[in-house]
Amino acid sequence: MNAEFLLGLAILAIGTAATAFPGEKTYLARLINLEIPSFGLFLIMLAFDEMLALLTFVGVTAISTFIFVRIMERRDDR
Amino acid sequence: MELVYPAGALVILLLVSAAFFALVRERDDLHRLLLTELVAIMTLGLIALVATDLAEALILPGLVVAISELVALSQVYIAKEGLAARPAKVRRIEVMDTAPAIVAAILVAYGIVLSGFSGGAIAAAGLVFYFMGHGHAERFALLEAASGYAWAIWIGAFFIFMILPAYWFFAVLIAGGAILLKVMVKLSLIGTMRGDPDV
Repeated sequence: MNAEFLLGLAILAIGTAATAFPGEKTYLARLINLEIPSFGLFLIMLAFDEMLALLTFVGVTAISTFIFVRIMERRDDR
Repeated sequence: MELVYPAGALVILLLVSAAFFALVRERDDLHRLLLTELVAIMTLGLIALVATDLAEALILPGLVVAISELVALSQVYIAKEGLAARPAKVRRIEVMDTAPAIVAAILVAYGIVLSGFSGGAIAAAGLVFYFMGHGHAERFALLEAASGYAWAIWIGAFFIFMILPAYWFFAVLIAGGAILLKVMVKLSLIGTMRGDPDV
């Protein structure tokens, strides 16, 4: 077990708690907290040298954030 | 090293159950959609623990399924809440006027260097930001034609693999370029969804 893997697992756990049970339950807070577990997943993929999966995940995360922002723009309350 | 898989899998399974617990207690649909994304991230983590080339081969289709499911569910949500009829108020963000051209150029150039599926996704992210910032007057028929030609070239590369295996490197280059073009064109359509009531 190397450092990146343990750190990634810890960040994944923290991010899951932050996203599943956020302090302030708004859409925007949850969307921002969703970045924390994905950062943990980046580190786990980095620990196992999965470069292609890591790069594709970065690209797809940007696109999924855009889709969520699009829905929240249509709803005026956030 | 042999402890990594069971320990990691146990931790991630605990996290998945916490996320599902939150998902069950949630009543609001958009919150549920956000939690579905969280579960998708952790499922990918479970696959990443396999730590071989098999993991990469499984993660790429997993990402495709996750993004297409998200697009479909977001459209269902917009239709169900009656948000499609309402004209979308596009927020003016000043940095979106200047930054996307540079960001798109960097991402597309890096995507072409990567080639293949990952390159397509990276380049598409660049195009999504460009379309988002500058609006779009694209011709959908042209994009569809490019995508169709890319698919035909991809299949042609597979014929080279089967009929002329000695030229495998040439076929790899053709397939990598074609799948780059195809994924880039398809994913960049997402960037045109902003502010358009009927798309």
